[in-house]
Amino acid sequence: MKLNKILLATVLGAQLAFTSQAADTNDTNRDADIEALKQQLRELSKKVEVLESQHAIDQQAATNAASTQIQQLDQQVRILAREREIDQEAATAAAKAAPKFSIGSNGFVASSADSNFVFRLNGLVQVDSRTYFNDDPIKSNDGFLLRRARPIFQGTLYRDFDFNFTPDFGGSSVQIFDAYGNYRYEPWLQVRTGKFKTPEGLEQLQADVNTSFNERSLVTDLVPNRDVGLQFWGDIEGGVLSYAAGIFNGVGDAQNSSNSDNNNEVEFVARLFTQPFKNTDIPFLQGLGFGVAGTSENGTSGTRDLPSTTGGTLPGYATEGQQQFFAYNATTVANGEHWRLSPQAYYYYGPLSLLGEYAISDQGVKNLTTGAQAYLHNTAWQVTGGWVLTGENASFNGVTPLHPFNLNNGDWGAFQVVARYSELNIDDDAFNGYANSATSASAAQAWSVGMNWFLNKDVRLNASFTHTTFTGGGGAGIIAPATVTQQPENVFFTRVQLAF
Amino acid sequence: MKSLLKILVAASLAVSAGAKEIKLLNVSYDPTRELYVDYNAAFTKYWQGKSGDTVTVSQSHGGSGKQAQSVINGLEADVVTLALAYDIDAISQQAKLLPADWQKRLPDNSTPYTSTIVFLVRKGNPKSIKDWDDVVKKGVSVVVPNPKTSGGARWAYLAAYAYALEKNNHDDAAARAFITKLYKNVPVLDSGARGSTVTFAQRGIGDVLLAWENEAHLALKEFGADKFDIITPSLSILAEPPVAVVDKNAKRHGTTEVAKAYLDYLYSDEGQEIAAKNFYRPRNEAIAAKYAGNFNQVKLVNIDQEFGGWAKAQKAHFADGGIFDQIFQPQN
Repeated sequence: MKLNKILLATVLGAQLAFTSQAADTNDTNRDADIEALKQQLRELSKKVEVLESQHAIDQQAATNAASTQIQQLDQQVRILAREREIDQEAATAAAKAAPKFSIGSNGFVASSADSNFVFRLNGLVQVDSRTYFNDDPIKSNDGFLLRRARPIFQGTLYRDFDFNFTPDFGGSSVQIFDAYGNYRYEPWLQVRTGKFKTPEGLEQLQADVNTSFNERSLVTDLVPNRDVGLQFWGDIEGGVLSYAAGIFNGVGDAQNSSNSDNNNEVEFVARLFTQPFKNTDIPFLQGLGFGVAGTSENGTSGTRDLPSTTGGTLPGYATEGQQQFFAYNATTVANGEHWRLSPQAYYYYGPLSLLGEYAISDQGVKNLTTGAQAYLHNTAWQVTGGWVLTGENASFNGVTPLHPFNLNNGDWGAFQVVARYSELNIDDDAFNGYANSATSASAAQAWSVGMNWFLNKDVRLNASFTHTTFTGGGGAGIIAPATVTQQPENVFFTRVQLAF
Repeated sequence: MKSLLKILVAASLAVSAGAKEIKLLNVSYDPTRELYVDYNAAFTKYWQGKSGDTVTVSQSHGGSGKQAQSVINGLEADVVTLALAYDIDAISQQAKLLPADWQKRLPDNSTPYTSTIVFLVRKGNPKSIKDWDDVVKKGVSVVVPNPKTSGGARWAYLAAYAYALEKNNHDDAAARAFITKLYKNVPVLDSGARGSTVTFAQRGIGDVLLAWENEAHLALKEFGADKFDIITPSLSILAEPPVAVVDKNAKRHGTTEVAKAYLDYLYSDEGQEIAAKNFYRPRNEAIAAKYAGNFNQVKLVNIDQEFGGWAKAQKAHFADGGIFDQIFQPQN
């Protein structure tokens, strides 16, 4: 542009100078020359305009090309950014849809993203020691014991179907303790079938990991343990009212089912338990629960419907030290009706725990030799109390330490002291041809004290002492249960428990 | 024993009968968020007036195919309001949560409102996009969601395919070439219609969005009529988003009665008005006439007539290994 202006000015100046000189010589030609110059000037101006216009067009084209390129690049950047955004959203969605795995104090848990499928692996190991004092006639009852060793497989299928499979490797042979399926329509309406705890005794229903002492009380002698059957059950309003009702094969007192029935009759079982203040704002009553449970079976027969043989070779009842203090004669079998009733209650408030129950077990029996029959009325009761010294709340589901054991932090976990009294009374008619009064006691009374140390949620140490006295029995001889009932039973328990 | 059971059942029923609040879950597709916000408020008021009970309706939205799969996998929808019948068929066939003839239970094939596919372009329509032929031109960037997951995308795909068939005397090879060109112009695939609206309107990507008609209007309302124009092509498809009670879930929740009422009310005058105000084409003729100004005239093809129904269309075009899988190659 500048070049054009300089050129124009130069041409104009030269032409004007020339014109001035020519004026003196030829005026006639002046106008023509001027006109020619004007024409040249116009042409030059036009050329300049064309050049300027072309330059502007070129500039615009370059600008447009650059703009298009920028727009394309901008789109590419936006697309890449959006794709990254979409990928992140997809990754987030995929993470939500991915199965979940966790390992912690509650065991190993694998779950589908929507929690409709859950597999949980838990475990329980209890290593006990028992030391009996002043029991010279009895040999080989002191020592360590692998009381329970159970992998626990449980979970959920299709959201509503639960399962549990629990074998036990703690005894002399492997047993299946729990093997059941459960359909959960709603918490208040569920149905369970398989092998599981019969809904009867309160302490029996408490999980093995949460009982106050190593062994349950004498009341447990009069209630069934695990049986095979089908029950409807549920918790209404979160447990304000709980119910269970079902039919089972039927087992003798304190017995675990051998997985099959031994007669053609079924046992009817029902339990109703309420915690009426659970959802109220009355703290000191929230932990109050009470209820009643019962069983009924006609047509019991044989020895398998009599009480468990724990601690002895004949059917009978055992002490809290797991030694038999009452045994039926070898010729005695179950005969006809067997029913049980058990009112029960517990109360938990802060560190305080109280649990009590009463049990009646009425069993028809028969002497196979004489043919005599009787209907025996056996009863038992217990009350257990506890206090968590470190202030944690006690509950039916155990104690969780506020400060788990950690020496580096000076934390010791939780400590609980516990005490219990229990009795079991055998019907006097039992000794009219069905049991030997010389060897078997007609009653046992036991008191226990203990200390529980909860190192953390999964590890617990127990130590306790139980003193049991007997009414009757104690005759001469070394055959059980005489050897047990000849003197009070004094036993010191310890336990190391790992439960996760 | 019997008495005990009776007492237990009676106590349970008493607890249940005391409940005054009813909860419903409506699992829907992507662009219905605003429709059901309005509709739920109206229905809640209606139901309270009728029964005295308070009903709270929760909404879940996403690509229609993904939503159907969620219900199949256990999302406890009381009702589903999805983009196309095939997705509800899948729930019926795979999860058995409702009977196979579910579509006969409500009028108009259980489709209380319809819609179609239109173009949303940038203001002034700088690429001069007027019909499907313009969409497949080289250099035109098209935004549309993934037909594998989005109901709207499947409708858009079929609308384009139907146009190509009509233009080429039902030459399927030509239609396939047309649809191939179209998806070559797609730079990014979102999983749902709302995601594509975000891509186009908020992220500034593309020259044209193939959108549900209601979604296009919503974009104008949401982002400003000075930013976009709606272009109605010469031919599109009659999109019929159906609704259904998920019987087994509703029965399980005790919500069958209110779930049915919830869907029935979509056919009421108020329900139809709400649909029309949200730019869904109402079935009610009087209300459709009242809101005729909201909807451009367009020739609409029917999926049953053009593609032999959803099952056939799904298998041919969108199933694994189908035509879409054959023609679409991601650009990156």
